[in-house]
Amino acid sequence: MRESIGVPSMVLAAGYLGFGALANGSQFPLWAALLSTVTIFALPGQLAMLEMSIAGAVPVVIVITVSLTAARFLPMTVALLPMLRSPDRVSWRLYTAVHLLAMTGWAASMRRCPELPLEQRLPWFVGFALTNWVACIVFTVIGYGLAESLPPLVRQGLVFIGPLYFVLILTGETRTRHGAVALACGAVAGPLIHLATPQWSVLLGGLIGGTLAWGLVRGMQRA
Amino acid sequence: MPELALLVVACGLATYLWRGLGMLVSGRVSMDSEFFVWAGCVAYALIAGLAVRILLLPTGTLAATSLSDRLFACALALVVYFVFRRNLFVGIAAGFVALVTLLATRSGF
Repeated sequence: MRESIGVPSMVLAAGYLGFGALANGSQFPLWAALLSTVTIFALPGQLAMLEMSIAGAVPVVIVITVSLTAARFLPMTVALLPMLRSPDRVSWRLYTAVHLLAMTGWAASMRRCPELPLEQRLPWFVGFALTNWVACIVFTVIGYGLAESLPPLVRQGLVFIGPLYFVLILTGETRTRHGAVALACGAVAGPLIHLATPQWSVLLGGLIGGTLAWGLVRGMQRA
Repeated sequence: MPELALLVVACGLATYLWRGLGMLVSGRVSMDSEFFVWAGCVAYALIAGLAVRILLLPTGTLAATSLSDRLFACALALVVYFVFRRNLFVGIAAGFVALVTLLATRSGF
């Protein structure tokens, strides 16, 4: 619990502050922004959902897109689970616990859990992730509220944090070659496709940019 | 309104799907397969494309700011972020202050 109030969590809080402000700036209702933090709890998916529903995308397309941004959770869960699982643990508790799995808590648990005895790992993970979850819910409200009450200049600055957060974190924290090429392809494909078709741009930008990047890296490895 | 609630919850379920599926297949499949490499690429490209698009072609509140101001603030944020050894907090703060200052200067304070 105490460990969760560290730098990565503060960063996450800043991201949700930006998300709350962005939601306000796009006239997205507060309750829906909050519900998304509670049920989705993954910032990229929430941002995609927000922007696409503003653009008037077909709901099914929104759900598919959000799902694609969350596919990273599958390998993450698979990697973390063997550390948390113990024979006497009822599995519904694990199924509930993995809802709280997100990048920050995952990275911290992968580092910390091997140092802990098996029976303390799940409580540690839940304590860490639950604190983050609650903090993110609170910061969504704070961001939304601040954007509403502050003068327009500061409001625009707060809304700006939303995209800025991702530009910085993606540029700075992407270590793999696949990731780097995919970022570049996506950064070009996303805005270009948006000019042609705003409703489909998020999904198509990801599929086209990502597939292109995947193909490019394959090509480079063969060469 | 109920439609929006339904949409958000459906998005939540679509996200949980991967977490739950990860539990089911844990220890049974290899995570090194090309499919997961591809899915990772799509996720990276998707979110990068979205973030850059909001910067270049914003809707809502940000649409009232100029492209040059946004680009300058973003570039400054990136420089500060890397100078301060990838300190995300300092970088975001720099971008925020830069944009607000630019906007304030233009509106003639």
